[in-house]
Amino acid sequence: MQTNLKIALIIVVLIYIFFILKAVKRKNMRIGYLIFWSITGVILIIALLIPNLVENIANVLGFGMPINMIFSVAIFIILYLIFNLTILISKEHNKNTMLIQEVSMLKKRVDELEKKEENFNGK
Amino acid sequence: MKILLIIPAYNEQENIEETIKKIKEFSEEIDYIVINDGSSDNTEKILKANNLNHINLVNNLGIGGAVQTGYKYAHENNYDIAIQFDGDGQHDINCVPKICEPLINGQADMCIGTRYLDKNSSDFQSTFMRRLGANIISIFIKIFTKASITDPTSGFRAVNKKVIEEFTKNYPTEYPEPESTVSLLVNGYKVKEVPVSMNEREGGTSSITIKFWKPVDYMIKVVLAIIIDSISLRRIGGKR
Repeated sequence: MQTNLKIALIIVVLIYIFFILKAVKRKNMRIGYLIFWSITGVILIIALLIPNLVENIANVLGFGMPINMIFSVAIFIILYLIFNLTILISKEHNKNTMLIQEVSMLKKRVDELEKKEENFNGK
Repeated sequence: MKILLIIPAYNEQENIEETIKKIKEFSEEIDYIVINDGSSDNTEKILKANNLNHINLVNNLGIGGAVQTGYKYAHENNYDIAIQFDGDGQHDINCVPKICEPLINGQADMCIGTRYLDKNSSDFQSTFMRRLGANIISIFIKIFTKASITDPTSGFRAVNKKVIEEFTKNYPTEYPEPESTVSLLVNGYKVKEVPVSMNEREGGTSSITIKFWKPVDYMIKVVLAIIIDSISLRRIGGKR
């Protein structure tokens, strides 16, 4: 890999890690996701810093070109992530529905009780 | 016998008052609850101004989530029978005793009012596309549950206490009419149909019509839902 390209990639990964840290600092990310994203960041840095690491692994596994291996791995990781997110959204959707129903029913009860109290005080 | 009409309403400002007037004229003994599903029109104002018994959902949930709220309300207030009833004047209040009868004498746990059983009793037979859709869904229900349901998308249905409790816990909110029927059938509940008459809508737009603008999409998803439900909702030992 050309040195220029390598430096550019390292800068990109550093920005990526910066975004992760920022999200953590603002408490926008749950610990479980933090671990996942940090690990991907660390792996990227290691792969870039150790010379010929990606090439050697790709050779051992039988990928024709290192870039093929990188794409395959990346696609699988992204698929896994999206799959998990879909499940998460469905679960949150159900919880949300339940909350809206319960809050709306409570509101009705509060209204009724307030009315009752008004009538009681009026007498 | 405490009977509750669950009336889901989404943007029904033209119809809702009239519907409830008809219910009150028919019988003072039947209670009703309007579930205002986050309407963007004046439905809420009308409900409040006329002092009609209602729950305002703080956000739009869709027909399934709205109706389930009604079942929860029925469960909390200990109703014996809950009837799902449209707020748009499509369902005929005079058919309520007919639809309750199989529940009262224990012949069924859920009774669906169907348009298609008896050709003479209904003035409104709905469109060809709708009938075709209903038939396809019926065939799949028959395959997976061995029960014949002629009008699985009918929203006019009565359920007894056991089913009310069941629905408060699990109510399929995506395609509620066919899916809830399947979930009851696979768990050993008895479902019966009686012929009812339905009127053409008096105003507003039906939630089903909105769904039907993509009929193929709707059919595929409903059939898929039936297959998944008939496998995954079956509890070991059937009825709990």
